[in-house]
Amino acid sequence: MRLLFSLAMLAICTNSVVAQPDKKTDFAHDVVPLLKAKCAKCHTNGTYKGGISFDTREELLKAKAAVPGKSAMSEIHKRVNSKEEAARMPPPKAEPLSAKEVAVLAKWIDDGLPWEPGFSFKPATYLAPLKPRKVAVPPAKTVGREHPIDRIIDAYHTSNKVTAPAKLDDEVFTRRVYLDLLGLPPTTEELEAFVASKNDSKNADLVRRVLAENRSYTDHWLAFWNDALRNEYKGTGYIDGGRKQITAWLYQSLLENKPYDKFARELIAPTPASEGFAKGIKWRGEVNASQIVELQFSQNIGQVFFGANLKCASCHDSFIDSWKLDDAYGLAAVIADKPLAVHRCDKPTGKTASVKFLFPELGTIDATAPKAKRLEQLAALVTHPDNGRFTRTMVNRIWHRLMGRGIVHPVDVMGNRPWSEDLLDYLAVYFAENNYDLKKLIEHIATSHAYQSKAVPLAKEIAGDGYVFRGPELKRLTAEQFTDAIWMLTGTAPLKQSAAFQGALPPFPAGVPKERQFVRTTLVDCDALMRSLGRPNREQVVTTRPEQLSTLQALDLANGQTLTTTLDRGAANILKANPKATAEELVEWVFVRALSRKPNAGERDAAKRLLGGKPTAENVADLLWAVVMLPEFQLVR
Amino acid sequence: MHARELSRREYLRAMTAAGLATVAGGAPRLRAAEPSAQPKATADTVILLWMAGGMGAPDTFDPKRYTKFEVGVPVDKILSTFPAIDTVVDNIKLTEGLENVAKVIDRGTLIRSHVVADLGNILHSRHQYHWHTGYVPPQTVACPHIGAWIARVLGPRNAAIPPFINIGQKLEGHGESEELKAFTTGGFFGTEYGPFNLPFPDDAVNAVKPPKGMTPERFAARHEKFKELLKASPVGEMASDHHHESMLKSIENAHRLLTSKERDAFDITKEEKKSYDAYNTGRFGLGCLLARRLAESGARFIEVTTEYVPFLHWDTHENGHTTYARMKKEIDRPIAQLILDLEQRGMLDRTLVVLASEFSRDMMIEGVPGSTAKDQSRAKTDKLGELKHYGLHRHFTGSGSVLMFGGGIKKGNLYGETAAERPLVTTKNPISIRDLHATIFHAVGISPKTAFDVEKRPFYATEDGKGVPVLDLFAKGK
Repeated sequence: MRLLFSLAMLAICTNSVVAQPDKKTDFAHDVVPLLKAKCAKCHTNGTYKGGISFDTREELLKAKAAVPGKSAMSEIHKRVNSKEEAARMPPPKAEPLSAKEVAVLAKWIDDGLPWEPGFSFKPATYLAPLKPRKVAVPPAKTVGREHPIDRIIDAYHTSNKVTAPAKLDDEVFTRRVYLDLLGLPPTTEELEAFVASKNDSKNADLVRRVLAENRSYTDHWLAFWNDALRNEYKGTGYIDGGRKQITAWLYQSLLENKPYDKFARELIAPTPASEGFAKGIKWRGEVNASQIVELQFSQNIGQVFFGANLKCASCHDSFIDSWKLDDAYGLAAVIADKPLAVHRCDKPTGKTASVKFLFPELGTIDATAPKAKRLEQLAALVTHPDNGRFTRTMVNRIWHRLMGRGIVHPVDVMGNRPWSEDLLDYLAVYFAENNYDLKKLIEHIATSHAYQSKAVPLAKEIAGDGYVFRGPELKRLTAEQFTDAIWMLTGTAPLKQSAAFQGALPPFPAGVPKERQFVRTTLVDCDALMRSLGRPNREQVVTTRPEQLSTLQALDLANGQTLTTTLDRGAANILKANPKATAEELVEWVFVRALSRKPNAGERDAAKRLLGGKPTAENVADLLWAVVMLPEFQLVR
Repeated sequence: MHARELSRREYLRAMTAAGLATVAGGAPRLRAAEPSAQPKATADTVILLWMAGGMGAPDTFDPKRYTKFEVGVPVDKILSTFPAIDTVVDNIKLTEGLENVAKVIDRGTLIRSHVVADLGNILHSRHQYHWHTGYVPPQTVACPHIGAWIARVLGPRNAAIPPFINIGQKLEGHGESEELKAFTTGGFFGTEYGPFNLPFPDDAVNAVKPPKGMTPERFAARHEKFKELLKASPVGEMASDHHHESMLKSIENAHRLLTSKERDAFDITKEEKKSYDAYNTGRFGLGCLLARRLAESGARFIEVTTEYVPFLHWDTHENGHTTYARMKKEIDRPIAQLILDLEQRGMLDRTLVVLASEFSRDMMIEGVPGSTAKDQSRAKTDKLGELKHYGLHRHFTGSGSVLMFGGGIKKGNLYGETAAERPLVTTKNPISIRDLHATIFHAVGISPKTAFDVEKRPFYATEDGKGVPVLDLFAKGK
């Protein structure tokens, strides 16, 4: 099994066209390999012969092994130079250091013992498993909490002495379900019908009904997948036509809810319609060796399907996790048309990459097979039934989208410890056993009490191992959700999809309310406001959007022309649709549609003051603005 | 002078939203400081005058042998198409058309040895990305613009003025607009530190005014009533949530900017006519005026660009001479005026003004000698036939000119040298983008080794933390 280093590490290797000799000791490149080879066995990671630990700079100083700046006075230097067998390090049965190695250590000490902040030779204590694990789900704590997710979380809460948050009220629940699953708030009728229903299974029924609405589901989740697959890409390098879009394939896949394993296989061993992802972005001019299309493939496969960061390992053996240069190049070689020269930090090593899969324990790829075959074999390994990393990564992403925070966090660092291995492993197996059905997975999570409970306010973000799951977190609307919700509220959606989105759109299924039948943000080009609010241009794979509203974004909301114009048009639309409505009625009309609830007395008064005596288009626009600026509108609660 | 320096702690208090937004958002964290302390700042503000499109040094700040236009002259004989002129500093010559800069060059340093990377097939926006972020694209993470770095590390000088302001560049509507956006960004620092874009200086005031068609009274009332609505909201229990709170703080910050007295700085029509006219050579000139006003009001980093649009302005693929005559007319007076104004207001000592470009140009050589870069000239000929053949139109990376004024930089100083004959490569004191950035960072008190954790890796202010400031460029005792 590979070693997992806990480190903070090395600089991102970049193109060193204008490299200059750097005379200072380069700790990561010069010293670490030497210490690893010659000292680590006896003086790091739990073995500390003579009580001397090299794990961290602090430990080293504590052990008085070195005096920064003064090699001659340093124990390390004396020992490696010693002519006495008994005193010399490494001990006599090992080779003594070469003169060059001695010099490296001396220089390192003389330079002040530079150390990579946070670096330790002690491996992290957590090692992410690869195989799927069937979890013995604990019994239900009380009647009504039989959902396996709740049984796991209830046990987790008990052992962490956490009281589960209360159940959401109907209105907030409805808004959450619609926004999370379809990207839009519910219509008034849908909201009222749900609140009025006395049916015991109404929550689960709603989740199923909403998920069945394939067109709106697709229009919403397209943004998530465009981000992850760098689709709808218009960024740099594009001028050479370097990136092929996969929109038609992606749209169809979501619409038919293609099983995720099949979905992944079609991206890795692609057809012409889905090959854009694997082909990557072809840049004009010279690029750093770590950014050739083959390595983009490697990095993207690693990140998207495994939450594994191969960016470091595309340059040198990673210092933050176990991935090696060979892993990154091994994966790249699968798609390479010709032998791929391995580069370390942009310099050729003289070696040629050999085909290798990240998890060789699952199987191998025949390097002599033609490319199409190799890709098929890779696709099979990525989606191998024993590849629990594949399913864990995906269920964690969905959990993050629905609950506001991953079970493993952040979602692209699947080597981190989950706050509940049981939950993660349970969901991963559930997902595989249910034919990798994404909608089924979403349904499974959304029908749990855990999902249907009140959001837990957090005074600040909790980072690191100390995190304890209490309940769902608030989620900020994405640029697309925010804009779509406003378009729906004000009837201002564009009439046609953009030219970039080719082909006819599928019809909405029967029974979809007409308020929801419009051209969504994902089907049109990004405008200035969406850009500002965080719709990315997808230079890189994006798996999370900014959680906070920045000042410049707030400025765009306060005086930007896009929102102003939309709300002006919307106000006119609303007045036209409600020609005889009183101020009171208009306030309620807006509140129910924007916030999925009626205003309270105080809000009624405040809103009516906004409308003045007689609701004019100007006043209605101001009311709309005030409502969409409310954090309650901009967050999924 | 209006330099209200906020201490870091005060800054944090002033920018609570910003602080909160980044700390809370899982954004990159500043890595533990190195044993080496941050340098002492000699400048509080940076103004970058960006000559977008590749400003050719031999026809601007590095005159070589002059050859007049005559039909039949072999083009490989031509180095400069403008004669040299004297400046107030004996050993510094510029080219004709820069007479105003020539009069103020004693306030700054002229670097002639800026060597940029040759990235193969030369594309302006890739070199601009390199220059502005310090990293060669593509990168696996979104690199911040140097202005975002300075904004992130130092924060705003005045909480009512966005710390990073970008003047004169349209980001939509031309062939490389996406490429420009890729580096005109806060990158992994997020939009809190991203550029406040003001593409048209004479329209800048609208960026800080109520939306079109809305009176200030209505705008103020709308905000007041929003707050009433908020107060009446039953979602009160969520107020202890960081998402919720930072959202409200950002809304308040934005509102403060839209109602503060500093807003006047954005309105260049408030400038005295005489001064306005002195700057008004067009968009760039007015951009310089706007930059001065914003610097006075407490902006931290301001870029003013001649604007990059493929094949326009400095991007001469033919007809270089004629275009340069026009470009110099556009930049010469306002640059000199900016320096004089800053000096007269006592601000020049603490304001670093830098003029730079993504690369230089040459009549003959694309890239550097031996480069594989494809010749992109549209006026290929052996001998001058018509005026469009006359002037620099091949991208040259072997040397380039940079101006630095104020902020502790030596005065009346010439740094670096280039060959007298083609290839006009740097022959003394080459300075790379990395070291030039280190120098700018040094001036504002930021170590080039300053790093943030991005995806658990350190990401440095200068490439791999290896930038070395050119201390020779600073006046002694600074």
